[in-house]
Amino acid sequence: MAHRWGMTVDLDRCTGCGACVTACHAENNIAVVGDAQAAKSRAMHWIRVERYWEGDFPDVRLKFRPVMCQQCDAAPCEPVCPTYASHHTEEGLNAQVYNRCIGTRYCANACPYNVRFFDFYNPQWPKPLHLQLNPDVSVREVGVMEKCTFCVQRISAAEIDAKAEKRELKDGEITPACVQSCSAKALVFGDLNDPESEVSRLSRSTRGAKLLEELGTLPKVTYLARQTQV
Amino acid sequence: MDRRDFIRLTAVTGTSVTLASCGNPEHQLIRFVPDDDLVPGVAEFKPSVCPLCRAGCGLSVRVMEADVETVRNGQSGVVKMGVAKKLEGDAKHPISRGGLCPRGQAAIQITYHPDRLTHPMKRTGARGTGEYKEVTWDEAIAELAGQLIALADARDQKSLALLARPRRSRRLELFAEFLARFGAPAPVGFELFAEDVLRRANARSFGHEQLPTFDLARAKYVIAFGADFLGTWNSPVSQNAGYGEMRQGRQVHGGSRAKFVHVEPRMSLTAASADEFVPAKPGTEGVLALGLGHIIIRNKLRSADAAGRAGAAIDGWSAGLADYTPENVEKITGVAALRIERLAHELVEFRPSVAIIGGAPLAHTNGLFNALAVNALNALLGSVGEPGGMFFTPSLQPPASGPGFSAASHPPSQAAPASAGQTQPLVASLQSSKVLLIDDANPVFASPKAWKVREALDRIPFIVSFGSFLDDTSIHADLILPDHSFLETWVDSMPESGALEAVTTVAGPAMKPLHNTRSTPDVVIELAGKLKSPVALPWKSYEEMLKAPATSHPPSQAAPASAGQASHQPPVTSHQYQEPHFDGDAAAFPFHFLPYASQAFLDGSAAHLPWLQEMPDPLTSAMWSSWIEINPRTAERLGLALGDLVDVTSSQGTLRAPIVISPGIAPDVVAMPVGQGHETFTRYASKRGVNPIEILSPLTEAETGALAWAATRVKITRAGDGDGRLIMFAGEMRENPFEGRRQEK
Amino acid sequence: MKEATAKRIADDLLRPLLNTSWRFFLLVAILGAIVLTGASAWMYQVWNGFGESGKRWPVFWGFYITNFVFWIGISHAGTLISAILRLVNAGWRRPVTRCAEVITAFALMIGAMFPIIHLGRPWLFFWLMPYPNQRRIWPNFRSPLVWDFFAISTYLTGSVLFLVLPMIPDFALVRDKTTGVRRKFYGTLALGWQGTTKQWHRLESAMQIMAIAIIPVAVSVHTIVSFDFSMAPVPGWHSTIFGPYFVAGAIFSGIAALIIAMAGLRKFLHLEDYLHPVHFANLGKLLLMMSLLWTYFVFAERLTTWYGNGTSEMNVFWVTQTGSYSPLYWTMVICNFVIPFPILSLRRTRTVTGCVIASCSVVVGMWLERFLIVVPTLGHKYLPYSWGPYQPSKVEIMIMISTFAAMGLLYTLFAKFVPIISIWELKVGEHPFPIEAAAQVKEHAILRTNP
Repeated sequence: MAHRWGMTVDLDRCTGCGACVTACHAENNIAVVGDAQAAKSRAMHWIRVERYWEGDFPDVRLKFRPVMCQQCDAAPCEPVCPTYASHHTEEGLNAQVYNRCIGTRYCANACPYNVRFFDFYNPQWPKPLHLQLNPDVSVREVGVMEKCTFCVQRISAAEIDAKAEKRELKDGEITPACVQSCSAKALVFGDLNDPESEVSRLSRSTRGAKLLEELGTLPKVTYLARQTQV
Repeated sequence: MDRRDFIRLTAVTGTSVTLASCGNPEHQLIRFVPDDDLVPGVAEFKPSVCPLCRAGCGLSVRVMEADVETVRNGQSGVVKMGVAKKLEGDAKHPISRGGLCPRGQAAIQITYHPDRLTHPMKRTGARGTGEYKEVTWDEAIAELAGQLIALADARDQKSLALLARPRRSRRLELFAEFLARFGAPAPVGFELFAEDVLRRANARSFGHEQLPTFDLARAKYVIAFGADFLGTWNSPVSQNAGYGEMRQGRQVHGGSRAKFVHVEPRMSLTAASADEFVPAKPGTEGVLALGLGHIIIRNKLRSADAAGRAGAAIDGWSAGLADYTPENVEKITGVAALRIERLAHELVEFRPSVAIIGGAPLAHTNGLFNALAVNALNALLGSVGEPGGMFFTPSLQPPASGPGFSAASHPPSQAAPASAGQTQPLVASLQSSKVLLIDDANPVFASPKAWKVREALDRIPFIVSFGSFLDDTSIHADLILPDHSFLETWVDSMPESGALEAVTTVAGPAMKPLHNTRSTPDVVIELAGKLKSPVALPWKSYEEMLKAPATSHPPSQAAPASAGQASHQPPVTSHQYQEPHFDGDAAAFPFHFLPYASQAFLDGSAAHLPWLQEMPDPLTSAMWSSWIEINPRTAERLGLALGDLVDVTSSQGTLRAPIVISPGIAPDVVAMPVGQGHETFTRYASKRGVNPIEILSPLTEAETGALAWAATRVKITRAGDGDGRLIMFAGEMRENPFEGRRQEK
Repeated sequence: MKEATAKRIADDLLRPLLNTSWRFFLLVAILGAIVLTGASAWMYQVWNGFGESGKRWPVFWGFYITNFVFWIGISHAGTLISAILRLVNAGWRRPVTRCAEVITAFALMIGAMFPIIHLGRPWLFFWLMPYPNQRRIWPNFRSPLVWDFFAISTYLTGSVLFLVLPMIPDFALVRDKTTGVRRKFYGTLALGWQGTTKQWHRLESAMQIMAIAIIPVAVSVHTIVSFDFSMAPVPGWHSTIFGPYFVAGAIFSGIAALIIAMAGLRKFLHLEDYLHPVHFANLGKLLLMMSLLWTYFVFAERLTTWYGNGTSEMNVFWVTQTGSYSPLYWTMVICNFVIPFPILSLRRTRTVTGCVIASCSVVVGMWLERFLIVVPTLGHKYLPYSWGPYQPSKVEIMIMISTFAAMGLLYTLFAKFVPIISIWELKVGEHPFPIEAAAQVKEHAILRTNP
């Protein structure tokens, strides 16, 4: 049976520490744009930890919500791309084919989650920072969109390994960089087609909800609500 | 013509262009024989230890083959070698347990930093100008040896000082051994957020001079006083792991979710995760803890003598803390009496419960009292050494062979320098020294101006830095002997907290050095060998030292027994509540100034890493900036909008920074992250933002002498409109910015 | 038909082609310089990276798409108006049609450049064209951007045909009036026009077919442009009203552009005898009607949004209505309704000057309308953490200014080389009686023999 990769984000475990943000940069060769460009809001964070204040001091609360590509089953970004750079893979991922992208940025406009980022300039890695680049991930050039891939390179590597060893993939064998780095284990990744997988089990939780579910985008990321002990 | 034909056409023209561009002599590099037997494209994982904070997280370094431009024997060329690609938490390591914090993830950029110092250097220009010339290692070590020999000849060995970051590792032990054999004073540790007050309090209350470990995974109730234990304090990765378990880990098995209460005048990253946020007036945390204790004792929820030794350290404990009635405590702390009563009952009802103190509450003039009070509360709750409570990580001797971590029963080799963060040892040693060795400490940046560290450095005739970067302090060095990065050398760590079992981590190099650098411990060993005996050290290299059992060094401190019943205890003297003192009177300086460890940069020592500069701050979403957090009502009163510039003035000086409006901060408190404002610290951090430490008053904790970095008061004046220096990632701070409008309608 | 009248028509309208003053060269030089500056600004952007524009996360579309929609809107002036007026055989249309149709052709060309300028990798723009790549993958026909490609190319082809067909007899006229290179040039353009009955017949049928065909094309083009927005599930965009709203807005701005162009021609080419105040008054009435229609659409769209009170829709609503974009929003309302409505309602103010003032106001207002459709929505999508403002960069402003100059330049050059008012149609229009084939033959025979 084909895999259908999904994730759960347990907002009750998430502490907003930001490890996932840096881990994603490290894994996916995301360029550091620098202060001048960051000031123009061109920083690229495939995963971001949204924070929202509620109430006023002293009865104040703060919510954290990590937001990455929701890998929608009915993704608004896909049909609008004129060149199929944004397309759906057989395993249900919203893939972005950088070579095919001509930079209409339509996908980013159609995305309700604003999780797509644009390379406004050619990325720079002052030597020897380039030695850190992950050889499994393409470096994007100016003028293309980029976004969270659920660390498709790690998925492929694990699938290839499993195939070579003539075995099935184990649940938890694949961890995207954000999931791997999360010390509070707020992020869980796995195969939604496997009803026994941890991600499937958590997705069925009564605490579970999809982000902007009402839009009908059928996201594959489930958010587990934060609870409050009174 | 379809695209294929088009490409064919362009291919022809393209080829001719490529041919023409060959033959550029710059690109004719010599290819060296490969260094490693790596399979191209296949990753290998090697262990290491994160160097950024004292937590000592075990790393798993992903190493892959790459072409590296390098210099070998004076000839430049390309070599295939394994290089580190990514740092991950080692899943088997008892502290990191597979996770890592954002700073740890970015630590790899230390190795590949474009502004890393690549070779030994000798100063040519005036101090502080950063003008250096390259020298060979032989010349550099000979020069340093010459300086030390001169000291020895003048019988002035005690004028050698070594300034280091306080870390529990054998590196410091090696330094201490060297200094002892030379006849110099022990190494001086320096770190802004050193938490020595808590160590001292723990020694008093429990007989353990170390930071505690919390068993959050099993706790049912956690009350934290100021400790940013999910962000920057103590051992954040292991604490995050425990936090995750305490929230949802038990529910899977039908257990209950723990309650977490946070006491702090500003909602920090950690407080944001609390079920209940209790803002108390700065410096009164200890009073609140005793207020809770008062109710527990008064209502006989637990007996007063349950606190034992820790209770005896508190004046009036045996009398039931008569001064700490809820009403009195409400007056002092600003927390409602009813709420105190409820919290006290909850603490007892939901056991195991544990209280955590750290950070700002200890950085007041009465910090030790606050710590002792919380310790006594913990003891009263019976949470010391019990599942779901607090522990002291046993220490052990480094493993006898090979890298890895193991458990043993030996006491630690205590070379960790004492009294870090205090003015006296730092300034005193600077004032008395003629040769200063600096290992990874940056006191020029991390000490108040009033300490005059820079001026003290100017008077030292010879300064040597082992740093990998030119920072605020090492730019004053006369000789720079750059260390390998932690990935290129043998590293070890014996963290004092973070795990219930003793942990010692030793790891070999994950990759070969990129530059003409040398491992500092090896340099010290070589240096010692060049001096007159008996200075020579017994090891040929740091690697040999790490692999050898640490028998030659008697532990400097008695072996701590299990928590709560320390074998060797100093006499208990009771401690009376004293009001916190603040620098500056409330009329002229109406705001408490709260500097805090930045989630990205900690105390500023990670500010040079571009990933961290660009990581949005979790609470404000600011990147590449300094800012000051102000309550919305205060901002409105002062006519301030997001990004407006203000002058923050203390009795020590003035800073200008943009404001961030934060609903989570008390109206009479302003807060500022530490980390930016380096005079010089690579292209990414130099002259970026401002440094709040500069305007701190040099007030110290009354008894320990530690810097009371939260005891400064400031005033705020509007300095102008925003000028774009505040860079934010987020748009809005509330989830429905127009909600009020919708309701009005 | 008095021969003298015919001669005067021909003389007056051919004068710009035959006499060239220094003013023409100066104007061309100035406009050309601005266009070149715009072109170099674009090259600067291509060379340095798209970051030279003011786009940012999450406002990935800004000035370029605003201008795209705006210019495509302007293009609805000509062809649509001229086709409708032709079909209903409104006699007053005769001096107006050609200058209107020219606007269409040029505005389309300018508008169609913007999707390319706005590409992150403009050197790969041809990947939008409907032919398969080396992996035999066609463009994605589900993408509204590919629909745009079809719509705009169809419209451009159609309106160029619609423009060129009735120019043939005039080319023949110029050919017959000139010598040398010009004669050869216009002879080629005249496509061997001899003015035979058969040719007139074919021209009339072709015009009739084109006039009928071009109307649905024009309507569909701006509907499809509106689909670029309304197909995305984004608050402020995802609305069924967008198709007709865009078309109405397009005709609105188109008429305004036409009035401005006509006034310019009237003044600079001294065509007061041909472009009468009644032309302006009639177009002014049309503009008034479109202003009311546009206001109605805006009202309907705002009211349903406000009444529906959906959270994300209301965010965009408040941002435009009272938030950071409100100054632009209310300027738009003033420009598109408050100013033109009284001017155009009163006969006393529906003069040439009045119409031009109203039209200038409408052009500004409609540009703002396009901007307010594109930008506030993108900056205020669902998750407020990701909201952000937008400021155009110098490059974008320069390119935008240069397209206005390009329009002026193309128009000036066109008026230099082609009779800007259809001479033969005007002459035909001098007949008080309905046009019949026989009369036409006779008439054209006269015209042909005119020296």
